[in-house]
Amino acid sequence: MAIAPGIEAVDDIFQEGKVVDGFVLGKEVHRGGMASLFSATKEGIDIPILLKIPRVGRDQPVESLISFETELTILRALKSPYVPQYLGSGNMATRPYIAMERVEGRPLEDLIKEGKKFEIDEVIRIGADLAQAVQSLHAQDAIHLDIKPENILIDANGKLTLIDFGLSHHERFPDLLAEEMRKGIGSAPYISPEQVSGIRSDYRSDIFSIGVILYELLTGQLPFGNPQTMSGLRKRTWAEAFPPRAIRKEIPRWLQEVVLRCLEARADDRYQSATRLRQLLREPESVKLTERSERVEPLSFWESMKRWLRAAGYEPSPSPRPSRGNQDAPLIIAAIDTRQSDENLRERMQTTAKNVLLVYPEGRLVCLSTIANTPTFEGNVESQTASGIVRGRLVQLMEWAKPLKLPPERISYHVLEALDPATRIVDFAKDNDASLILIGASRKSPNKVTPWRTSMTKIVEEAPCSVHIVRT
Amino acid sequence: MAKARELGVTRMVFLGDIVGYNADPCALIDRIAELVASKKALAVVGNHDEAIFKDYRNQMNANANAAIEWTKTQLNNSQVDFLQGLPLIINEEQICFVHASAHNPSDWNYVTDSMSAWRCAQSSGKTYTFVGHAHEQALFYQSAVGKLIRFAPHPGDEVPVLSHRQWVGVVGSLGQPRDGNPEACFAIFEPELSVLTFHRTPYDYFAAANKVRQAGLPEELANRLITGR
Repeated sequence: MAIAPGIEAVDDIFQEGKVVDGFVLGKEVHRGGMASLFSATKEGIDIPILLKIPRVGRDQPVESLISFETELTILRALKSPYVPQYLGSGNMATRPYIAMERVEGRPLEDLIKEGKKFEIDEVIRIGADLAQAVQSLHAQDAIHLDIKPENILIDANGKLTLIDFGLSHHERFPDLLAEEMRKGIGSAPYISPEQVSGIRSDYRSDIFSIGVILYELLTGQLPFGNPQTMSGLRKRTWAEAFPPRAIRKEIPRWLQEVVLRCLEARADDRYQSATRLRQLLREPESVKLTERSERVEPLSFWESMKRWLRAAGYEPSPSPRPSRGNQDAPLIIAAIDTRQSDENLRERMQTTAKNVLLVYPEGRLVCLSTIANTPTFEGNVESQTASGIVRGRLVQLMEWAKPLKLPPERISYHVLEALDPATRIVDFAKDNDASLILIGASRKSPNKVTPWRTSMTKIVEEAPCSVHIVRT
Repeated sequence: MAKARELGVTRMVFLGDIVGYNADPCALIDRIAELVASKKALAVVGNHDEAIFKDYRNQMNANANAAIEWTKTQLNNSQVDFLQGLPLIINEEQICFVHASAHNPSDWNYVTDSMSAWRCAQSSGKTYTFVGHAHEQALFYQSAVGKLIRFAPHPGDEVPVLSHRQWVGVVGSLGQPRDGNPEACFAIFEPELSVLTFHRTPYDYFAAANKVRQAGLPEELANRLITGR
């Protein structure tokens, strides 16, 4: 491939104090194998700027240019609070650079290297945030494919940012790294078995990488080591990671279940969406415990042998579209008015919820109820205290959902405190990437209250997803 | 054309097969000829255009032949001259425009797969080659190993097409898409930004189909305008 000859001059163009397309270059803040990073300023842009300049020229690997081009394409298209904002770029042939927001924070890698011991709760929080950040990519049909501690920045408030899209894939753009000669590009400890086989279109690869990071933060070890050979890399298609609870006893069973499920060799056996993973990390009681949670010892020699033989015919699962994850495992919110006395409506809501869940075997139901506000003083009777009121509502919700006979991992209950229930429900739907909100509208509208009606209109207008109004 | 102008297009290129399918060949030729004469557009010749002044009867199906025969009866001499005067291929500094493929353009080879796209790019030698002929939109791009890889573009997405690799854009057909969507296909290339955007835009294909029927052309030619097949 023809690479512009004038490109050697790049080092002369990008120096502290020089101005490129209005960007005033500051200090070089990092020099890596593939790119240099400069801080910069520009009139009219009041956020800190970072200029990324690929290391190109005769002695440089051609990959650095391709991944630069890939990052440019994908970063430019992404809009996410968990990704640095794209601010501009230079001509690829003469002065290649990408200008982006300079995000505060340190790489998670630094903390690991310092030997920090992560509390279990801390790992759960990082995992949930990471899953949310990854979901924001998948929702836009992008897959990161290089999720590793080096590429995760965490700021002083714990806010997380994903960086480096040089190996990423986006369904809406040509994949410039497809059919590359070298298979399994990425970082050895973190890439999924399908990536080892050269597949770059499976969003569930990111879920595998999150599993590796969770494992590493919990145990201080890498589940499949840091292999340098192809056969070493292939080991993850058949080997089972040493159970985390055997390394650190205090890890709860449910968490071991979650981590090991992320690390399943076949993408179909992992969680099918990052949102689902996040929800489970935040609601451990919904985790369905299997044999994975019980493991305390590594596989026996014979069991390993069997798995190795099975993996000889390892066939990666077909890759669905990234934004599909949430469509196949949708989160459905049933907004339930527990004061509602209309038996007909109650039944209809239940039937509707049941039918929707029949269509989506991986779908989950969140039963939601709002309360105006809890008393600030603590009453004497349990039913008058804040926790008592919430508990009472929860029981009502569980009662409501009983006829649906859903297993615990498919249903959860929330009582939200809100003066403005509509806004609260809409926000909840946004935060949890819900796919559908069910609301009931009774003919016998309670005391003909209009506020209740406007509340429904508001949900319909502002919801980030479909709204299903159940009528009697 | 209105939609393209709305999007700020400064120069149009018609990649051939101006006539041979539609019921308005005279109006269409006149309009394109005027644009070409005033340097606002370029046009290359397509196989159906060539059939007007060359004998292709043995190579086309009955419907196509019927349409060609009918079109011949409609055109006046200067309109036929215009078609006859169209170049087979236009080469600019970075871009090549051709109806079928830059590889032996007069053989009307289809660019549909990696191999045909590679031949086309090799022959043109240009960074960007834009072709029509095949009715489905596609963008072929050169990978690190030189091979051309097919990409199915999503209408309306700006795809960066940087000039250090070769690209072959199959723009699709304005009036004859074959992917089940009757909307007109075109693409806009912005050289300064190195961005290519494929577009689909609705037009009154029912009216177009009616005209085809009224002209007495085969029913199937009218129907495929509506079904996009």
